Amino acid sequence: MILLPSPSRFLLQILQSRLQNPEKAVELDCHSVEFDDVRYHIQFSVKNPQSMLLSVSLPTPPPEIVFFSGLPFGAIEAIKGAYGVLVQILDPPKDGYNLTMKLNLSKLPPDEEQRHALLVKIASVREVVLGAPIRIILKHLASRKVAPDLDRLVALVHRPNESFFLVPQAEKVTIVYPMRFKDSVDVVLATSFLQEFVEARRTAGLNNAPPCQWSSSPPMDLREAPPHSVTANAGFVTFVIFPRHVEGRKLDRVVWSLLTFHAYVSYHVKCSEGFMHTRMRRRVESLIQVLDRAKPEVEKPKKSSPRRSFKRLSLKDARANSNS
Amino acid sequence: MDAADRPAVVIDNGTGYTKIGFAGNVEPCFIIPTVVAVNESFSKDSRGSGKGNWLAQHNAGVMADLDFFIGDEALTRCRSSSVYNLSYPIQHGQVDNWDSMERFWQQCIFNYLRCEPEDHYFLLTESPLTPPENREYTGEIMFETFNVPGLYIGVQPVLALAAGYTTSKCEMTGVVVDVGHGATHIVPVAEGYVIGGSIKSFPIAGRDVTLFIQQLLQERGEHMPPEESFEVARRVKEMFCYTSSDILKEYGKHDREPSKYIKHWTGIKPKTGAPYNCDVGYERFLGPEIFFNPEIYSSDFNTPLPTVVDSCIQSSAIDTRRALYKNIVLSGGTTMIKDFHKRLQRDVKKIVDARTDASDARHGGDVKSKPVEVNVVSHPIQSFAVWFGGSVLACTPEFYSACHTKAEYEEYGGSICRANPVFKGMY
Ligand SMILES: Nc1ncnc2c1ncn2[C@@H]1O[C@H](COP(=O)(O)OP(=O)(O)OP(=O)(O)O)[C@@H](O)[C@H]1O
Ligand SMILES: [Mg+2]
Repeated sequence: MILLPSPSRFLLQILQSRLQNPEKAVELDCHSVEFDDVRYHIQFSVKNPQSMLLSVSLPTPPPEIVFFSGLPFGAIEAIKGAYGVLVQILDPPKDGYNLTMKLNLSKLPPDEEQRHALLVKIASVREVVLGAPIRIILKHLASRKVAPDLDRLVALVHRPNESFFLVPQAEKVTIVYPMRFKDSVDVVLATSFLQEFVEARRTAGLNNAPPCQWSSSPPMDLREAPPHSVTANAGFVTFVIFPRHVEGRKLDRVVWSLLTFHAYVSYHVKCSEGFMHTRMRRRVESLIQVLDRAKPEVEKPKKSSPRRSFKRLSLKDARANSNS
Repeated sequence: MDAADRPAVVIDNGTGYTKIGFAGNVEPCFIIPTVVAVNESFSKDSRGSGKGNWLAQHNAGVMADLDFFIGDEALTRCRSSSVYNLSYPIQHGQVDNWDSMERFWQQCIFNYLRCEPEDHYFLLTESPLTPPENREYTGEIMFETFNVPGLYIGVQPVLALAAGYTTSKCEMTGVVVDVGHGATHIVPVAEGYVIGGSIKSFPIAGRDVTLFIQQLLQERGEHMPPEESFEVARRVKEMFCYTSSDILKEYGKHDREPSKYIKHWTGIKPKTGAPYNCDVGYERFLGPEIFFNPEIYSSDFNTPLPTVVDSCIQSSAIDTRRALYKNIVLSGGTTMIKDFHKRLQRDVKKIVDARTDASDARHGGDVKSKPVEVNVVSHPIQSFAVWFGGSVLACTPEFYSACHTKAEYEEYGGSICRANPVFKGMY
């Protein structure tokens, strides 16, 4: 997996199994937490097995951001637009959540393909709600306009108490991410990852991708941003999106990628740490082999299967075992 | 917000299936096969030719270190493309390939749960008799790669016992019979503590039942594509198997009324797409029988499971024995076989009664000793009882203080993970 997919695997699985085994209409009450503190609470009752109560809680917005009745601007319209007759938004939402929707699954379209597409859309509720403002801005960009009633610099929440910034213009939208990481090793890895990322953008094949830049200090675009929001320990990344990037069906993917850019970097930082550990284990392994060769010949202890004893696991025979 | 305010992530890694989810839920979010499909062409090349190789792959548009899949996806990928090889990171309940294991965890966290590991405490499980080195390795990966704020590694049977926590008054004394896919353990627990010296292993588990059924079907000449036969045997096992009370009688029943007892399996050949059929007969009760008559499966092991359970209890302190007989708890997918608990209860009871009668006879037969109560407890969630127990325990406030924290790890290193305290919530 290179990119984080938009639909939540968990939500999609629940929806699909509900529709596949309608006879197993048991009561269900479960919760799940995704990256950046997006939480879901799912409820099904026995009495009304076709109706799903889905509550979503969003990351706490930093002070520079105003939510409208608990949601980012344009979210209500986006929900209604995405789910149509299926959805009923409950007001007020369940305690502790930003949004509670009642989804009537009996109103799903009968056509297999359309139905699946709508389930995926429900599982992508995060993109619909949190991505609503970016979608509005980028939709206007596609028709080379600026969305009305916006500040020159728009802050949008993407992580708890953290925002990223958009400068909407008619011909382009500039997007700036202050990158922050908790762990000092992550900061180092993320910084070099981002520099490589910018470097990679320059290679021939990617001429049409949005230009991107990394800087250690806040770029000029953030002049007007509140000071607490322009501190970042892994620098600032800037993308410039042009109308050609958001034409037609590209829009959805762009919205999701922009919304989760920080999570994307964070995921790859963790992956590279894992990758380095694999390399380190191999290295240790080969050094141990060198040491072993230097030892005088002693009788090899028999490998006892299935239980390996207190001897340190050696990678080589671990791999040999797994192939057997 | 503090990590302790979010639900802990509970992962039970089994030889066959991994159960992944959040504490506080009744069911795991995902139950997926513990398998990784890796692109071997990459890991072989990468040993020698460092950077050049990376560049070549980069230019080919492949992020080679991310070119792998886990769970059901791994199985389908491997079927459709020869580039991937399957690696089973856990063998007989123990992690055996740490590279695969780390990749498996990575995808469990980022692709399945989609959570940020830094934001959650983690509860992982291990099989009893796991060497402390493994626990240290697990700690290293969790703290170094994933930066988890806190980690607890629970012993699977203890967690299974804790699964009874909410259903009744929590009884932390009992014998857990955990029959999973790759390992069977019989573990006596007294007041939440494992009676270490009395743990017994039994060399047969779910995988063996599948293998035995596969062998029986093949010997009987049922036609099925060889590459599918293990999978078919597994499905047949899970759908049709039951434990009989007496095999001879069962043979009789099948022979008298074959139409009632013979089941049919229909599959589709993966290569040609042609459908195929096979009949399932004696396999239905012979498969599970290997727990009660192991000699029909293996030539070098012939002690039945009930005898092992009995000797396990007999080897623990005399004053706990009655309590242990009274609470024999089943856990693991294989114990879901129909009527497994009835047969186990009956056979253990037989052994116990025979012993009481013999000792009464030795004492002249005047005094009758009080009969021993044998109780095999079975509950509907027993196939993921370990996970559920973890989910319950990770909700208690004591859980957070029993965890090893990142700060402790940085101070003392992986060795802190060697011991995992049993905590209050377990009583
Ligand atoms: N209904 C069923 N009837 C019979 N067998 C079943 C059933 N459901 C699952 N199994 C078997 O149970 C096994 C999986 O059990 P479980 O998930 O408890 O094992 P595990 O935790 O992966 O392995 P272990 O604990 O040995 O490491 C598989 O062999 C599966 O085929
Ligand atoms: Mg298990």
